[in-house]
Amino acid sequence: MAGRVSALFGMNVFGDALGFIRDNPHLLFDRALEQLWLALAALAVSIALALPLGAWLGHRHRGSLFAINTANVGRALPTLAVLALGIVVLGLGVGFKTNLLALVVLGVPPILTNAYVAVDRVDPEPVGAALGMGMTGGQILTRVELPLALPTIFAGIRVAAIFIIATATIAGAVGGGSLGAIIVNQAAYGLDGVFGAAMCVALLALLVDGILWIVQRLLTPRGLRGRTAQPTYDTPIGTLAEAGAR
Amino acid sequence: MLIRTHRRHGIRAAIAATLVVALTVGAGVAAAAPAKPTIKLGTKDFPEEFILGQLYKQALEAKGYKVQFKKNIGSTEIIKTALYSGKIDMYPEYTGTILSVIFKQAKSPASAQAAYNQAKAKLGAKGFTLFAMTPFSDTDAIAVLKSTASSNGLKTISDLSKLGDKLTISALPEFQTRSAGLLGLKSAYGVTNGTFKPIPQIDPYATLDNGTATAVDVFSTDPQLASGKYTVLTDPKFIFGFQNVAPIVSKKLAAQLGPQGRRIIDAVSAKLTLPAIIAMNKAVSVDKKSDAAVAKAFLKANNLA
Amino acid sequence: MIALAAAAAPSAPVIPDFGPTDPCVTGHHLFCPGWVHDNWGSTIQPALLQHIKLTAIAVSVGFAIALLLALAADRYRPLAPPFGVLAAIVYTIPSLALFQLLVPLTGLTVTTVEIALASYTLIVLFRNTLTGLQSTPPDVLEAARGMGLSDPQMLVRVRLPLAIPAIVAGLRVAVVLTIAEATVASFIIPEGLGFQIREGIRTSFSTGILTAGGLAVLLAFTADGLLVLLQRVLTPWSRRWRVA
Repeated sequence: MAGRVSALFGMNVFGDALGFIRDNPHLLFDRALEQLWLALAALAVSIALALPLGAWLGHRHRGSLFAINTANVGRALPTLAVLALGIVVLGLGVGFKTNLLALVVLGVPPILTNAYVAVDRVDPEPVGAALGMGMTGGQILTRVELPLALPTIFAGIRVAAIFIIATATIAGAVGGGSLGAIIVNQAAYGLDGVFGAAMCVALLALLVDGILWIVQRLLTPRGLRGRTAQPTYDTPIGTLAEAGAR
Repeated sequence: MLIRTHRRHGIRAAIAATLVVALTVGAGVAAAAPAKPTIKLGTKDFPEEFILGQLYKQALEAKGYKVQFKKNIGSTEIIKTALYSGKIDMYPEYTGTILSVIFKQAKSPASAQAAYNQAKAKLGAKGFTLFAMTPFSDTDAIAVLKSTASSNGLKTISDLSKLGDKLTISALPEFQTRSAGLLGLKSAYGVTNGTFKPIPQIDPYATLDNGTATAVDVFSTDPQLASGKYTVLTDPKFIFGFQNVAPIVSKKLAAQLGPQGRRIIDAVSAKLTLPAIIAMNKAVSVDKKSDAAVAKAFLKANNLA
Repeated sequence: MIALAAAAAPSAPVIPDFGPTDPCVTGHHLFCPGWVHDNWGSTIQPALLQHIKLTAIAVSVGFAIALLLALAADRYRPLAPPFGVLAAIVYTIPSLALFQLLVPLTGLTVTTVEIALASYTLIVLFRNTLTGLQSTPPDVLEAARGMGLSDPQMLVRVRLPLAIPAIVAGLRVAVVLTIAEATVASFIIPEGLGFQIREGIRTSFSTGILTAGGLAVLLAFTADGLLVLLQRVLTPWSRRWRVA
């Protein structure tokens, strides 16, 4: 009996939530856009910081311990703690800057690790050939290694993107802005608003991941699909960075 | 041989049956005997409520009652749902808030006693009763930095209109939709300028200190107000009303508690004067002591636990 | 303005000394070890234990389900992609949203939190368990069959034990993930280290944040280390000694 009642209640909330979405398209759209914009900015900064460093370390085959473990450490940091540190310890208060900081802290590790692993494990043959042709280190990195490493690098960017979208929700929950602000504000938006915003967040995350999945498949030339670590359903997940690369 | 075995089995069966009957009757007697009820106590989502919750919880437990404590349920709107649905049967509430938020009464009561009586009457119709109220009243208040007040000549809430677009008000999200909130600011004081920035669960005084807000919604019993850094704007129209605390208790639980149980709770409420609650707020919010430890010390000092 | 009620208290209350004020705390210093010491038993340790409990239940339930799914997918290959996709979809949904989507069904309770947390572990645990099961070296399988072992016997005596490294690798990832995600659970139930972090945000208390956050990270590394040890215990055959 209780089960049937709660199932009915669930159905009601779903219907009400759809109603909320229908009645408040601008609100949800604005907040979703806010979240995307924040996520995009954070992703851009993360790539700018992590990609050059990771690629360079991989090119020199140095710093493996640091580069590989960064991803593990990064995911072990609770997003709430990173936000809290920004707000209180660094005294930044609540706002775009703090959110950006927290998101970048979480976005950098997977990109760094994947960039390192990707460049480090590039097939030595083309690298050797390029060396033989007289290319400099920098030229080898940019013209040979990076293109070959691109699919795995992109996998890391995809992982970072998902972490960032998820964290942006929490950032909004703590300090306002993004769809997260609606999710924690049952007092103002009601249960249907909270549920509706949660549905929008889920959809947003799936959409972003879906688009990036398509881009990743497009970026992986057929010839390389066997060589690079293209995850299928039976490849093991050894590190947290791989956990996101489905 | 077989007949003898059957007889032995027969005796065993008779003994077993008697035991079962005896145990059932005994259990029934035990169940029928008036046992102390278990109290499902909840609190709202800020430190003063946590302290009040701990005070009532520990006082009841000291007298042998079992308390299922649900701390930090949420804002008034959320905890009201929990109360009405039976998830909790008791929580400490502010008399003014009962009228303005739970029953959406627009007209403010004329005195603290009137607020209590009206609240009790309205709750009675819903199946709840109100136990004795505390001496202290804790109203919302609008605070600004002392420097802001002196440089802009702010004394009362209506003075906020002087700030024009520079005004940023920060408060819990529900402040936007309450008459003891933004709506009251607009209708009673004509404050329509500036922007509202919700701060779900962040220290409002910090937002004043770091400049992200010009004016914030605080509580009149906040210990930070004693520091001298902040000015509280006066509320001559009493939009924030009278706010003594009284425990809302379901009529069913009240009946189970009886006068004996009620006396325990009322004894705690009687000791909560303004100096007492401010001291406890200071210990928890400023000195960061745990609310449970502070409540324990207070109850012990007053022989209530 | 503060309005006092008309009713006078029968006798004024005794306001005890709640303990000495810690200048470190009132001075808003970065970290106050004194506060940690004073509040360990009443506040910090219970939060830590709640957090451990939340994580343990979530990972155990997640592993049980993932194991069943992996065994099923091992039997019937076509099941692998749909299970994988489903788990991946759940994993992509941000935790705060997933919690709220479950609330109408299971309320603001520990159950809601556990369902969501367990779901997040599925993708890792399912994939790793399945991989582990399917990567038994063919010559070992041949030898086992040669010894006359039936399929179930092979599973229990050969394939599962050999899958332990992959399974433990998955458990390590799942545990660290869950410990971090469990902090978000504080938006649903006031338990765990996440609640302490949010309290720290609400009261601008850096010590509280650093303590709770630091404990979460420490917990993650400890759990990870323990699982590595567990793996060594469970796979004594993998200790190889180099013969000079």
